[in-house]
Order: sequence, then structure tokens, then C-alpha cells
Amino acid sequence: MNRKVGPRWALVVFLVLAIYPLFPAFDGWFFAATARSLGAQMPTLFIFAILAMGLNLVVGNVGLLHLGIAAFFGIGAYTMGILTVPAYPFEIGFWLALPCGIAAAAAVGLFIGVPTLRLRGDYLALVTLGFGEVVRFTLKNLDAITAGTRSLVPVPPPATPVLSVDWLQDFRPFYYLTLGFLVIVYWMLGSLERSKLGRAWVAVREDELAASCMGLNVSRLKLSAFICSAGIAGLAGGLYASTITSTAQPDAYDFNRSIFLLCCLILGGLGSRNGVLLGVFLLYGFDQILSPIVDEKLQLAYGAPIRREFLGIPISAQMQTFAGWRLFLFGVVLIVMMRYRPSGLIPNDRIKEELPPDPDARPATK
Amino acid sequence: MPLRIVPALFLVAFVAAGILIPAPPAQENSNVVKILSSMPRTGSARGQTDTIVDGIRLALNEVENRIDLDGKTYRIEYMDLDDATASAGDWTSEQEASNARQAQSDPDVMVYIGTYNSGAAKISMPILNRMKVLMISPANTSPGLTKPNQGERDEPKRYRPSGEVNYVRVVPTDDLQGPAGAEWSLDMGCKRVYILDDNSVYGKGVADLFEGHARKIGIDILGRESIDAKASEFLSLMTKIATKQPQLIYFGGTTQTKAGQVAKDMVKVGMKDCKMMGPDGTYEVAMIQSASAEVLNGRFFCTFGGLTPDKLADTPGGKTFVDNYKKFYGKEPAEAYALYGYECARVALEAMRRANKKDRAAICKAGREIKDFPGVTGTWSFDENGDTTQQDMSGIAVRNGQFVFDKKLSVTRK
Amino acid sequence: MLPILFAEAFNWTNLQQQCITGLTSGALIALIALGYTMVYGIVELINFAHGDLFMLGSCLALTIFTAFGLAQPGAIDSASNVSIVLAIACCLVAVPIFCAGLNRSVDYVVYRPLRTAPRLAPLVSAIGVSFIFMNVGLFWVGPQDVNFPDVIQDRNLLGDDAVLRFTLKNLLVVGVTVPLMIALTVFVKFTSLGKAMRATAQNPTAARLMGINTEFVIGTTFLVGGALAGFGSVVYALYVNTISYQMGFQNGLYAFTAAVLGGIGNIPGAVLGGLVIGLVQALGTAYIGATWTSAIVFAVLIVILVFRPSGLLGARVREKV
Repeated sequence: MNRKVGPRWALVVFLVLAIYPLFPAFDGWFFAATARSLGAQMPTLFIFAILAMGLNLVVGNVGLLHLGIAAFFGIGAYTMGILTVPAYPFEIGFWLALPCGIAAAAAVGLFIGVPTLRLRGDYLALVTLGFGEVVRFTLKNLDAITAGTRSLVPVPPPATPVLSVDWLQDFRPFYYLTLGFLVIVYWMLGSLERSKLGRAWVAVREDELAASCMGLNVSRLKLSAFICSAGIAGLAGGLYASTITSTAQPDAYDFNRSIFLLCCLILGGLGSRNGVLLGVFLLYGFDQILSPIVDEKLQLAYGAPIRREFLGIPISAQMQTFAGWRLFLFGVVLIVMMRYRPSGLIPNDRIKEELPPDPDARPATK
Repeated sequence: MPLRIVPALFLVAFVAAGILIPAPPAQENSNVVKILSSMPRTGSARGQTDTIVDGIRLALNEVENRIDLDGKTYRIEYMDLDDATASAGDWTSEQEASNARQAQSDPDVMVYIGTYNSGAAKISMPILNRMKVLMISPANTSPGLTKPNQGERDEPKRYRPSGEVNYVRVVPTDDLQGPAGAEWSLDMGCKRVYILDDNSVYGKGVADLFEGHARKIGIDILGRESIDAKASEFLSLMTKIATKQPQLIYFGGTTQTKAGQVAKDMVKVGMKDCKMMGPDGTYEVAMIQSASAEVLNGRFFCTFGGLTPDKLADTPGGKTFVDNYKKFYGKEPAEAYALYGYECARVALEAMRRANKKDRAAICKAGREIKDFPGVTGTWSFDENGDTTQQDMSGIAVRNGQFVFDKKLSVTRK
Repeated sequence: MLPILFAEAFNWTNLQQQCITGLTSGALIALIALGYTMVYGIVELINFAHGDLFMLGSCLALTIFTAFGLAQPGAIDSASNVSIVLAIACCLVAVPIFCAGLNRSVDYVVYRPLRTAPRLAPLVSAIGVSFIFMNVGLFWVGPQDVNFPDVIQDRNLLGDDAVLRFTLKNLLVVGVTVPLMIALTVFVKFTSLGKAMRATAQNPTAARLMGINTEFVIGTTFLVGGALAGFGSVVYALYVNTISYQMGFQNGLYAFTAAVLGGIGNIPGAVLGGLVIGLVQALGTAYIGATWTSAIVFAVLIVILVFRPSGLLGARVREKV
């Protein structure tokens, strides 16, 4: 059993992330090489990591396929927006609005979870998907409350009564705020996994019938996981709105976002918190940090893409940029990963041990 | 067990590196000025932003990517940034914010050309305003971005935390375009109008302005609805509209938000005599490609601030533009938006020249105070909000599968 | 507001017209949904790439029309009826073969090695395949909406002066989808291969013990599902007349919804689900508002599933003890 190595590495990663901004040399060199500040882009990554942790709770720990996490993310962001923007009379500030966002997302999770969690397998997946779309369209169409596609701006940064913090110029405050929440969520979920509740969740994932025979209340267990994950997504949403100073467009909370997070989860390792972190950093890092940089370098080296031909086939401008190939690369990475490491880069030890060896066994996730 | 020591070693190495490596030297003496542009370069808006970027590159190429400021020659480095991601397929708030932060934190960046979407401008304007980076938009037409009392309560103050204007645009805004469209439709004899929009900041805004003025001048508004721009067809919506027998459908939206499909489905359900009108977001060749000439001929009209490529040759600035464009790209400028990209880059160069030093605040000030600028379509100035005084509106029709200039538009009725 | 709503609701021709429109688009959705449901029934895989396969089929149809010289502006007016019919026939043969072959190859290369992997692994691979297809479509037709030549006349079959419109296009959609659905039902119900399919869907191990070559059966399922997507894409292109690399996503989503609504794995269920969604879409647009259409579709879906947890026609699964 080399289970001890996992948590150690997570500790090191968090420590490295924590001391990164303390040395200007790191960000300075990154900036000199790429004309972008890495530190300024990390907060969104941390937020998506929190969101992915929340999703992992339902998909990884309890084994329910959840395709609508973005809706709860959006509810958190919009609650933050409505309660803090100057256009509304509330303006209760970040620190009060954040728990409100968590509570709102969790309450909606309860509302949708009670009638639907008895659905099995893919029916539940579709209901969460449909619910996500309903929320997105509601955000879009309730113009009087959510400002529709105009989005609520400006969402103010957290108030810090004692310190004077420059939230907008310096990347460090948001960096530490989001990293702090990520560490808290990571640690909380870790202790939750080892608790009685966490073990009961795993029991439901492995065999619902056996779990209920052992006297576990399966539907209540599923509901609790669903609500917890909605709450975590709400937290991520509140942080997101505050970091980008706006609630973004309702389309930022669409099905694509949910699917992309699911890919992060499975790439990293379902049910393993370290794997989820890695998955988010790899996929979102690729999409949001690496690929813009590569495109800029290509532009500097080769100039603007011009219309060329190859063997009589016109080579469009799309094909001459890295961004044009991004979807293709994503697809190949996902397929190759699933072929050779279907349980993810850092598999959950328990799932790894329990993977069905015989070819005829139906997989456990139902 | 040696494996356990590895993490600790790694950590120590990281700290040591942080202490030992010096911060990179500041690049103050560099002889480069950077111009960034931020527009959606992935997804369906790509076609139109391509032409804007073409225009920018053309203008910079005319000065051979060099500029003399205060006796020193600087190299101009232009970077075409993408504010869309592959996973979203459209512009995203975090990518736009990240681009704006990149501009603000790079001391060599003097001008930021963008954005394409009015919604994106709302994100980057406050970020760039604090560092007084001059921001020039080739395409934002939402009035609230610059004009007080046109949008929400605290617009445009909320975009200007430093109190200064750093955002200018070279396109006329929708408070001209919407009403001009309404009057044009009355001139064509269309008194029964149904209004659609794509539920975006731009489309909804311009449709609102059209509706307001249309009611004032006595046009009968039969209905108003938003479409879902991700839907693939609108046959049932059009069936419903057909029962009201409108003479004209106004669509507030762009080619990317299904203007072509709306036109096609209008004809498909039997509204063959009904006309359709759109704002400048539908004025691109892609509109004809997506809706087909058969559908649009004599039926589709759009409003556009500025002159069409076929009229450009009549003005001296326009002739230079067309000639240079042909020389550089080997073809006629098919898209009107190429002109705005070109104009933006020329304004950027002019602002730097007038400031005559590599200093953001000075360039920003010089930029917004540009007066009597010899633009492509005539001489114009920026007003105190940062809007262009160029207020020409063209009415454009489709004939034989081509956009052609129809008439000059204005707002006269009250 | 309410009286107006009433007046509109009791406008019978309008209601009938909306039903025609809704059922036609529902039939298209059903055709795509069949591919989803067949694959799901047999390997329990939500094939997210199915919508994008459909999109690639439309791209091929456009390329065929371009090869026949029908895609240039003004070409339709001068084109002879023979060349148009030939082009359509060519599409109806080539596109289903292309889609079936592609679907089968993807199964062979990507999904087959994952038959014993955890269940989410093939799902994520399917998402990966869908990304790749989308990128191919992007290179193929470009980032914008492209017009598909409008070769079928919009003449009203009920007479030129009739209030109700039922055009040649509606007839085409119905004329292609209904026979296909009947053929599929006959194939699955009455042929021995169809029987083998149902057996494999029920229990692959037992099917193999009975001497059924399950890999062959699965491969055939992918072939048939792909061919249906191919037919769907040709009919869709002729009916809607627009192609874009993103169209697979939205249509795939609706088709998946239809498949689950009818009871996933159930073939008549997918058809019923598609028709219900088409109708809800049309009536929602007509009487509530176009912006709410998608929200209504999904809300109806949630409500139906709450009351019928296995979909409209899905069998209630007994807990196996």
C-alpha cells in the first residue's frame, strides 16, 4: 500500500502554488517568455478545480452521472451578482453573498434532487442535463432580474476592512483567496471521504442494493451528496463572479462547461481528488493558458496566416493556427487516455482495486 | 523509503530556485511598441474578425511596422489575441479579462484594439481604464458603453474607474442605426413590422432602439420576440408570424446568430412578399452565403454606418484604402469591416504620433482628443464621449446576390 | 393577454399548421434518436459523437451537390430536373454508406477496446470523437453557416390557395423517415440478425453462450445507426437548407433527449420521443415564446421522467436480486 504518497504530493503542490507568487522571479520569467502573467490566470483554474471537486463528489464518490453542474455554478455566480452589484439595493458585499450563493445553489439542488434522484443511471444524467439547460434559459430570459445577456456588472471584490488590497491590479489577492478556498474544499472533502458518510457513499456507488440491505438510506445518501456538490458549485460560482468582476453571460454556464469538467474528472481519475486537480490543470491549462501562448508564438514566428494551397486543396486560415486544431487535439488526448488508462492519470486506489477483471461483468457505475 | 524524500527535495529546489534566480530585467529601454487586438478568433465569428485583422495589418504595413516617436524609431509589434476558447466556441468573459490583463501588465502595450462584442467590452474597459491604455473598438455599437443616459443608471461611469475616457470607437452607435432603420422601413412603405432579436447585448439593444423610434413615427409593431440563436430552424416561429401578415421583419442580430436562417424560413413558410431588415451585424458576405442569393434578392436590407466598398472609390481616403488593399492582398475588400480594422489601426498610429512619446497616458489623451482626422470615408473627430462624429448611415440592399448601396439614411422625423 | 391567447389557441388552421411543422421536425429528430437508442440498447453507451456524425453527413451531401454544380448561386434555376434528382439519389446512397462506415470504424478503433472498461470510459471517448468530428467539420465547411442549395420547391401540395401548407419538403421528410422506421422495426423484430441484436442487448454473455457473434452484432448496430444518421443528414439538409459545423451539437442534444424520453434502448420509444419533442417545440414557440422553447422542452422532459422514470415506453426495470 503506497497510499501515503498521494496526499504528500498534494501537499507539495499546494505549497508550491502558495509560494509561487512570493518570488517575483517566477512570474517575471514566465512573463518575459510569454508576455502573459501565469499568476493572473491561475485563479480561474483554482475555481474550476473547486467546481470539479464538487462534481467529483457526485460522479466519483456516489457514482451518479451528473451533466448539469454548470447550472449550480451559474446559480452561485448570479446570486453573488444580484446581492452585490450597485444596480440592486442589496449590496451586502462578498463575504455575506458567498454563503448566500452556496445556500441558494444547495436549495435548488434539494428542490431538483428530491423528485429526480430515484431515477436510475442515464435517466438521471438526462434530467441533470435538462435542468442545466432550463436554468441557463431562465437566466437568459428573466431579463428583469438577471439582466439577461447583458450580465450583471460590476461585481465588487471582497471587502477587506483592515488591509488595503488592490484587487484589480495585483493578481495576488485573488490568487490567494481562490487557492485558500481550494485548499479548504480539498481538505474538507478528504475528511468527508474518510467519514461515515463518505464510506456510505462509496457503498452506494459499489452496490446500491447491498448498501440498502445493510440498512443505509440510499435515497437520503444520494440527496446529501447532490446537495453538497451543488453547494460547492455555488461557492465556485460566487468566486468566479467576483474574480472576473461580472456574472458573465448565461452561456458561460451551458452544457459544454459541464461536459468539459466531466472530461477533466475522468482524465485525472474519477473519485480521486489529486486526479481531479491534475485533470483540471491539464485540460483548462491547455485550453486557456497554453494554446493562446502557442498561437502568439506562431504569429510572431510566421506572421499572419495567409491562404495557401496544398496539392490543390485550399488550406484555410483555420488550419494554420493552433486554435484551429484544439478540438482535434482534445479529442485525440481523451481517446488515447481512455484506451490506455481508463481509470485516469491518478486513479482512486479503491476503484482501481475493485475494477472488474472478468470481461463479462457489467461495470459498477449504474 | 526514498520515494518519500522526493517531494521534500522538490519543494526545497523550488524555494532555492525562487531565491537564487534573479527577476528578469525590466524592459523599459526596449524599442518596441505593442498593439494588441482582442476578438473572437475561434468559432463562427471568425470570418468577420478575419477581415478586421486584415485591415489592421494593412494599416500597420503601410508604415512598415515602424514609428518615429520623439526622434527615436520604434518597431511596432502587433498581436492578434483570441477572446474565445475552443471549448466554448464563442467569446468568454475569462478569456477577455485575461487578454485585458495581459495588455495592462505589459508596459510595451500602448493600444488595445477591440472588442468585437459589446458584452466583452464591458469586461475589459474597466481593467484597461485604470492603466489608461487606449482602447479602440472597430465594432462595438451598444450606445451605453460611451453615452450617458442611454444604457443603465451608472453607464458609462462604471467603465471609467479612473474618471478619464480611454475608450473610443470608430463606428456610429445603435442610437443612430436603429431609428434610421425605422425611418427607412417607413420610406419603403412598410407600416406593419414584426421585430425579432437574438437576445444578445447588441441585437436586443438595436432592436429596442428600432422599436422605440418606429412607434414614435407611426409604424404598427405587430409583435416582438427573442429567438434562441442556437436553434437550427425557426419554421414554427415564422408560421406564427405569418398569421400576422407583416410587411417587414426587423431582425436585431448578426449573421452568427442565425440572420440567414430567419430569412430562409420566412420565405419557406410562404411570406414571399415580406421584406427583412437587419443592422450592420448582418452586413457581411457570409450573410449571402448562408441565406443564398435567391432568398435575399430584393428582399433583404441592412443599415450600416459608413460607406460600402463599392462607394469607397469616390472618396480620396477610400480610394487609397482600396488600392492598398488590392496591392497587399491581391483582391478587392469584400467586407466592409476591413475598413474599420484599418481605421482603428490608423487612429492608433495617429494617437502615438500626436503624443510623440511612448507613454500610455499621453497616447490615451492624444487618442481621445483626435480632431479632424482624415479618415477613410471623410474627415471626422472624436466627441467628448469617445464617439466618432462620422454619422453617415448607408442603406444597403441585396441585388443579384450582391450587397449594393441603396440610399443614404438619416433620422429626420421626430 | 389571456383573451388573445385564447383567440390564438382556437385558431384551428394555425394549430394544425404548427402541428405539421412540429411533427416534421420531430420526425427528423426521431431519425437521429434511433441511432442513439440502438447503440445504447446494445452497449449501454451514450454516443455523444452521433450528432456530429450527422453533421459530417450533411457536409458530404453539400460536397456532392457542389460536385454536381448545384451549389453556386443561381445554379438551381438553370439546373435540369434530371441532375437534381440524380444528385439527391447520389446523396441518399453515398451519405448513409459514408456515415455507416465511419460509425463502424470508430466503434472498431475507439469503443471496441473499451468494452470491459469502466462505463464512463467509452462515454468520454465518445466526447473525444465528437470533438474530432467537429474539428473535421470546421475544416470542411468553415466556421460559418453555409447555405445548402434549395432544390426542392416550396409548392403547397394542398393547392396554391389553401390556408394550410403541406409542401413537397414536408412530404420528403415524412416519405423518407416513416419507411425507414418501419423497415427498422421489421428488421429488429423479424430477422434473425434483429433477434440476435435483441438478445445481445438483453444479456451479452448469455447471447454469446448461445452462439451469437456479439461483436458482429454490435458492429452491425453501429452500421445501421450510422446509416440512419446519414439518411437523416441528407433529409435535414434538404429541409432546413443550412449547414454548420456546430449543428451536430444542438440536434444531437435533442435527439438524445428524445431517445431517453421514449425510454432509452427502445426503438418505438425513440420515435415517439422525437415526435413529442417536435410538437412541444412548435407549440411552445407558437403559444409561449421562442426564447423559452428549449427550456420548455427540457422542463417537459423532467416532468415526464419524474412520473415515468423509465421514459414513455421504457419497460420498468425490475431490480435483479
